[in-house]
Amino acid sequence: MLTTGRARRSTRLAAALAAGAIAAATLTACSSSGGGSSSSKVLKLWHYEAADSAMGIAWNQAIKDFEGSHPGVTVKVETKTFEQLQKTAPMVLNSRDAPDILEYNKGNATAGLLSKQGLLTDLTPQVAQYGWDKKLSASIAVTSRYANGIMGSGGWYGIPNYAEFAMVYYNADLFEKYGVAVPKTFAEFTAAMDAFVKKGITPLANAGAEYPAQQYLYDLALTKAAPAWVTAYQTGGKADFHDAAWTYAANTLADWVKKGYIAKDSVSLKATDMGNAFESGKSPMMVSGSWWYGTFESEIKNFRWDTFLWPGSGLVPGSGGNLWVVPSNSKNKQLAYDFINTTLQKDVQDLIANKGAVAVAANPADVTDPKAKELVEHYNTLAASGGLGFYPDWPTPGFYDTLTAATQDLMNGKDPNSVLSSLQTAYRQGLTQ
Amino acid sequence: MTVAGTADTVPSNAASPDTTRRGAPRRRGGRAGRGYPLYLVPGAVLFLAVIAVPFGMNVWISLNRWQGIGPMTWVGLGNYRRLLADSVFWSSFWHNVLLIVAMAVLPTALGLVVAAALFDYVGKRFGARTASVLRACIYLPQVMPLAVMGVVWGWILAPREGVLNSVLRDLGLGSLAHDWLGDPKTALYSIMGVLVWIQLGFPLVVFMAGLQRIDPALYEAAELDGASWARRFRHVTVPQIRPEFYVVLLMTTIAALKAFAPIYVLTRGGPGYSTDIPSYFSYQNFFEKTQVGYGAATATVLAAITLVIAAVFVTVQFRRQDEEG
Repeated sequence: MLTTGRARRSTRLAAALAAGAIAAATLTACSSSGGGSSSSKVLKLWHYEAADSAMGIAWNQAIKDFEGSHPGVTVKVETKTFEQLQKTAPMVLNSRDAPDILEYNKGNATAGLLSKQGLLTDLTPQVAQYGWDKKLSASIAVTSRYANGIMGSGGWYGIPNYAEFAMVYYNADLFEKYGVAVPKTFAEFTAAMDAFVKKGITPLANAGAEYPAQQYLYDLALTKAAPAWVTAYQTGGKADFHDAAWTYAANTLADWVKKGYIAKDSVSLKATDMGNAFESGKSPMMVSGSWWYGTFESEIKNFRWDTFLWPGSGLVPGSGGNLWVVPSNSKNKQLAYDFINTTLQKDVQDLIANKGAVAVAANPADVTDPKAKELVEHYNTLAASGGLGFYPDWPTPGFYDTLTAATQDLMNGKDPNSVLSSLQTAYRQGLTQ
Repeated sequence: MTVAGTADTVPSNAASPDTTRRGAPRRRGGRAGRGYPLYLVPGAVLFLAVIAVPFGMNVWISLNRWQGIGPMTWVGLGNYRRLLADSVFWSSFWHNVLLIVAMAVLPTALGLVVAAALFDYVGKRFGARTASVLRACIYLPQVMPLAVMGVVWGWILAPREGVLNSVLRDLGLGSLAHDWLGDPKTALYSIMGVLVWIQLGFPLVVFMAGLQRIDPALYEAAELDGASWARRFRHVTVPQIRPEFYVVLLMTTIAALKAFAPIYVLTRGGPGYSTDIPSYFSYQNFFEKTQVGYGAATATVLAAITLVIAAVFVTVQFRRQDEEG
């Protein structure tokens, strides 16, 4: 092993150099195959919808339509995960590997932040050119427009295909079995929950470790709120967590846990646990977004279920859906605009509606599925009255985690007043960043 | 690995008799010495690229307010001042101390006892094969991906259909059934329990290797002098494997300080902030709140603490070795 010092050393050096050269060559090979080869006939598209979801199905149709009307153009779809894009989008969009068009999350913390940094194309001229603003109602457009990163006004940076809103899903069989009437007012709603508690059943499915619990809190705050309150909270940076609405919401949520409307042991549950509790017929009610609709339609077979809007409130959590955005580094902007336009056409929109999602530009008369029809009707009620209150975690990046912690604290019996103070601190800190 | 150079400088070492027989390397010592720095280059480049530069960048970022993209605003020590006043950070720090107990102190202590029991008792009674099978079983959690274990433990500890609660109910101990990860009073202790289970294998394997190194004559002598198993453990085993002890304690303590995955997969810092730890706190600020400067400040403080602890450990260990040897 220790024989010929110099010879050995020079062999090693040569080996090391050779290894280095191979590595360098490999890297060059990788980089040359990675970039540069973009042809103007390929539209590179990223999204994060499951293939069998309403959007996944409708977008496959849109791709077919698009390729049909653009001979010689192929759409190259890459399916990402929501988390993947959430964490890497700023870096990727800043690089040469940016896609030509992608689905991205709406809100100040996501699309707003990217628009502020100049990573997204301002679509305002295209909106006028294609007439997209005529298809999207004013409350939907709020999440498409950003001025200095704040939604609500300014240029159009994204176009949604669908909308979302929260409603009460209920198990009609359980309501019938226990003789509980479907509530029309807030008083009837609490009376219904009391009736279930008396039978030893926890009326509301919930999940404290993810968004459901914070949406209950926000739902409750919205029952005492006006649209001006929503604007102050979401875009004005002027939330007062000790005002009447938030104080009522925090105290009521804590109270509901004490009364047994919401199970205390749901603190560590995730959203899918909540969905499972409802799907398995254990929970008579679940308040959550329209994104469950399609899943429930296809998966719930052994009981009848239906929905109603949160009683006694003009506002519910909801908004336009996630957005098609065109990166500033997109190499095929014109094709990207055409693709967005394709997704807003009647056949694609009707497909979204019939598959159980809330299409933004579908005609209710063309929706054949009876359950889907009901969804469109709910949506039209809300859109007509400007009843979409957006989501509680939107005001600042990372407020989602703060709200999750706060609602878990509330459910675990922490003083609502101090919980609200911690929300106020995080809100202020988030805004000053 | 013994490179040619080592033999040049220590030719009289008895471990390499053929060196002296061939004689040549000693004379070439002077010229060969100039070639040595070359061997440091790959390591130095790696160190620069993977540790020094990112660390420097992190310190630089921590002195700024930054959203991860776009312009940075210089705030000097502002992020550190905010950190000092942040109660969530300090409570997360305290949780990290408890994680050190769960990932370093308890597994090391338990590992020592289990290693001695396997080596001394099981190995002698039931054969070395049984002992090594048991050792492998206890080591298994160390090779399983943490993400998978997190999901499985999440099921075990789940409040309603969780295995633990079901077992308790079946045993008639339903009153003990609990939302283990959802109650701030038990969440961190539940995670600590999982971590002890995960960590135990590492000290065990190292200690068993250490035990094989001990001269059996020491045990025989102690036995002849009438020492009980407990006294042999205390006066022979423990002092003899002290080097392993330091290594294990240092490595597990550092692992505890940079722990992230168990919290991420089991509780994400909740309920409330009751299981938050600095590394997760830093991650949240860095990626989710896009308060990158503040997250970097947390990471810098954490790195500084880890360095201090490592330095203390290494110094104490060297001093001990000097005293003994």
